[in-house]
Amino acid sequence: MTNETSAAPMTTVNFMTWVKDNLPVVVVSVFSIILFVLVGLKGGAPQVFNVLVTGGMWALLATGLALVFGVMNIPHFAHGESFMVGAYVAYFTFTPINKFFLTTGSKFLIYSGPILAIIAAGLAGCVLGIIIERIIFAPLRHRTKEGWVMNAFLLTVGLSFILVNGTTLTLGPNFRGIPRYFDVPSLEFMGAFIAVDRIVATVIALITIGSLWFFLRQTKTGRAIRAVSQDETGAQLVGIDLDFIQTLTFSLATGTAAISGASLLFMFQAYPTVGLTPLYFAWYVVMLVGLGNVAGAIVGGFIVALLQSATQLFIGLSWQSVVPTVVMILVLILAPSGIFGSEVKGVQEQ
Amino acid sequence: MNSTATYEEKGTAWGKFVSFLNKIGFSPLGFFLLIILALLPNFYPFSEEYIVRWLIMGAFLAAQAVAFDFTAGYINIVNFGFAALLGLGAYTSGIFANTTPFLLFAPGLNPWLTIWLGAIMAGLVGFVLGILTLRLRGIFAAVMAWFVGIALMGLVNNLTELTRGPLGMNPVKFIETPNNLPYFYIILAMMVMIYVVLKLVVGSNIGLAFKAIGQNPDAARASGINPTKYLVFNFTLSAFFAGLLGGFYAHFFGSLTPSTLMHTSKTVEVLAIAYIGGRGSLWGGVTIAFPFVFFIEFLRSNLSSLPGLHLVIYGVLMVTIMIYYPAGFSGFYFWTVAKVKTLIKKNK
Amino acid sequence: MLELKKLDSGYDFLQVLWDVSLTVEDGEFIALIGPNGSGKSTTLRTIAGLIKPMSGDILFNGESIKNKPPHIISRMGISYVSEALNLFTDMSVQENLMLGAYAVKEKETQLNTLDYIYELFPRLKERKDQLAGTMSGGERKMLAIARGMMSNPTLMLVDEPSLGLQPNLTYDVFAALLKLVKQGVTILLVEQNVNATLDITDRAYILEQGKIVMSGLSRDMKANEHVRNAYLGI
Ligand SMILES: Nc1ncnc2c1ncn2[C@@H]1O[C@H](COP(=O)(O)OP(=O)(O)OP(=O)(O)O)[C@@H](O)[C@H]1O
Ligand SMILES: [Mg+2]
Repeated sequence: MTNETSAAPMTTVNFMTWVKDNLPVVVVSVFSIILFVLVGLKGGAPQVFNVLVTGGMWALLATGLALVFGVMNIPHFAHGESFMVGAYVAYFTFTPINKFFLTTGSKFLIYSGPILAIIAAGLAGCVLGIIIERIIFAPLRHRTKEGWVMNAFLLTVGLSFILVNGTTLTLGPNFRGIPRYFDVPSLEFMGAFIAVDRIVATVIALITIGSLWFFLRQTKTGRAIRAVSQDETGAQLVGIDLDFIQTLTFSLATGTAAISGASLLFMFQAYPTVGLTPLYFAWYVVMLVGLGNVAGAIVGGFIVALLQSATQLFIGLSWQSVVPTVVMILVLILAPSGIFGSEVKGVQEQ
Repeated sequence: MNSTATYEEKGTAWGKFVSFLNKIGFSPLGFFLLIILALLPNFYPFSEEYIVRWLIMGAFLAAQAVAFDFTAGYINIVNFGFAALLGLGAYTSGIFANTTPFLLFAPGLNPWLTIWLGAIMAGLVGFVLGILTLRLRGIFAAVMAWFVGIALMGLVNNLTELTRGPLGMNPVKFIETPNNLPYFYIILAMMVMIYVVLKLVVGSNIGLAFKAIGQNPDAARASGINPTKYLVFNFTLSAFFAGLLGGFYAHFFGSLTPSTLMHTSKTVEVLAIAYIGGRGSLWGGVTIAFPFVFFIEFLRSNLSSLPGLHLVIYGVLMVTIMIYYPAGFSGFYFWTVAKVKTLIKKNK
Repeated sequence: MLELKKLDSGYDFLQVLWDVSLTVEDGEFIALIGPNGSGKSTTLRTIAGLIKPMSGDILFNGESIKNKPPHIISRMGISYVSEALNLFTDMSVQENLMLGAYAVKEKETQLNTLDYIYELFPRLKERKDQLAGTMSGGERKMLAIARGMMSNPTLMLVDEPSLGLQPNLTYDVFAALLKLVKQGVTILLVEQNVNATLDITDRAYILEQGKIVMSGLSRDMKANEHVRNAYLGI
């Protein structure tokens, strides 16, 4: 009896201290739930799907950023260009293939066109990642003794510049888009019509994130990647080849970003500077949750998409670059290293 | 324009002159080059209008690189919102000098006055940005500055009653003149002023504190330096000059749009110049800016079928230098001077 | 098994080791002793490939390893348990141990070694799902040694395992090392606890200011005047 009476106040006290210790997380969670309800009420099912599609993609992009930062200590500013490359590859794969498949008239072939395009983009991204890592980062890594984070950051800035303007140079500044991947009527969902493209993009984002998560947690190589991000020396001492892991990580990040560019082709189209918005939001996510935090990046992706949707619904589309910054400023005042904190080696370094 | 040279003949008039030059950040060679630069537009072919325009763009870029390096090269924070701050100064000045009645606000003040208002406005935002980024480490600070820059650009795009948004506005010119020469002297004077002021600052104890903070904020704090004060001061001053340069841009080109002025890629252009020129020297970017503008403009006018080629070259140069010669041009210069000095010593 | 030949090593422009020569035979238990800052850890780091020697050579089973990267050296059978431990703090004890066997191909061997380690360190088995970063100092030390053993090394370089441990734990650690030696693992041990170290090791080298100043059988060392004065405080 006595136990029971004293237990109740104890739990409330525990709960209060827990809330206090995790104030940023609590505030953000409560805030997100309220936003979600508001967005759902005002925008209905289409907006909810919007949040899922963009959230999934931001999560995917942010996961890549977080991995690259965690494992290689590179604040990757050219991540948007991986998205751009993915969009272009998908465009140039999908258009001719689709044309050809349409002539065959086979439903199966026609519906597999988009999937082939997205896979092609992912593979192209992986290869590009390997090339970039080998040509640019590996030499710098073996040369740099101090100030790596800042130098690597500037290097990616230069890289982004080269990729954007190189694309303009070779392909021109014009937009290349497709009206839709799947030429089928929208599906009805809770009284609203959702384009199949959106549903497929959401599913692809979730599958890719899921596989990445499984790979990092449950496979030997994935564990090695996490080991490198936690202790580089320790990883070498147990026989992990740093060069291999770093190239692999960069390749994975580039590949997954290319997949998001490809699966969002119907929304964003392909043009040289298409990567800037995704880059901004991916960075936004990792800043919000803490650099190098992979789990946080996934949650953060959806939170940011929610914030975007809410801004669009309640304030106006053109304010999408202003409102998030204001929110970010508030968050960073509350929690300078992001809401989920981050204890990654490179953050302490300049 | 370096100040490392030491001169034995202190007593003579020449010696006094040299030590004065040193104090304001010029070596005799640097000063000589500056005089040549100032006289250049009086001689053919540099007197051609389009070349004077190139020189103006060179000086504009050079001055930006100086203000940028003041932050990046000393406290080691890349101000990724630099172009946005410059744009803020440009728009502020443009709006206050504006006489067009269909905009919400048209005070029509003199541009010579309003450029300072623009500078103060940018300085204020720089001050706030300094406070915001204070608690953030290097890379977080750069990204935060980037976000603030993007937000500023969004603001300018949205406040259409003041700025006409993406349509762009047309501020009055400083002076109505068909030739560019007066503008060249205006921007050259601004460049020299910014350089001298910032050089005096970094040459003082404040500069030492900057470097200490840039290398290791915690160690600096432990040795009694208050990073808050210095960081905020640095950001404010750099932003102030960015805003001033924005004012020049507004009343020289007479046309402003958010995307040509405040876009991230504009910051990257300045960053590239400052880094290729060499970090932490202030003058490195100046020496690179002029040849660069000439080279780029030459490419642009001869290879107009290849849009963006100059930007690719920017990028490739920057990446190559980052990997193989991170010290940049000023580092190369100091290395050569040291080499020459040891050679002379050996021969003696 | 291991031979250092006139090794010079250090950091960037700071040379720490001068002309260090040392041999370790198969199955030996060797101590490397010296005052703080004399370069003991630097010696081990150089052998493990974390720093590249300035000159001289390192032979492992007759093959030069001085230009090999750390992961290759580790895969050749040299396991370095560093002073800093270098654990994967956000991973569980078991994950750390399994990563220790990263280079071991057969799952079967991995699991057998894991069982053996858990037998040797029951404490680790109890805590196999705990995050390494939340373990106590002594537990972490054990985990680091255990992780080092997971690759079935033929040579272990162990850096100050007793540092910060209470006496009975130190005893446990030493006992574990002795057990390893009995099983045929060769060990090069760096220790501050000179008395106990000289009791359990076969031979010892003394490193002072980056130079080997003395070497010999451990039991002879205990009787040596210089050692008694400088290290045993007698
Ligand atoms: N990363 C480093 N960079 C520069 N110098 C270093 C570094 N690590 C160690 N040193 C220097 O090398 C010398 C030898 O260090 P080392 O760690 O090898 O000594 P030690 O014998 O292991 O000492 P201790 O008993 O304190 O562990 C010291 O003077 C130390 O300051
Ligand atoms: Mg040591």
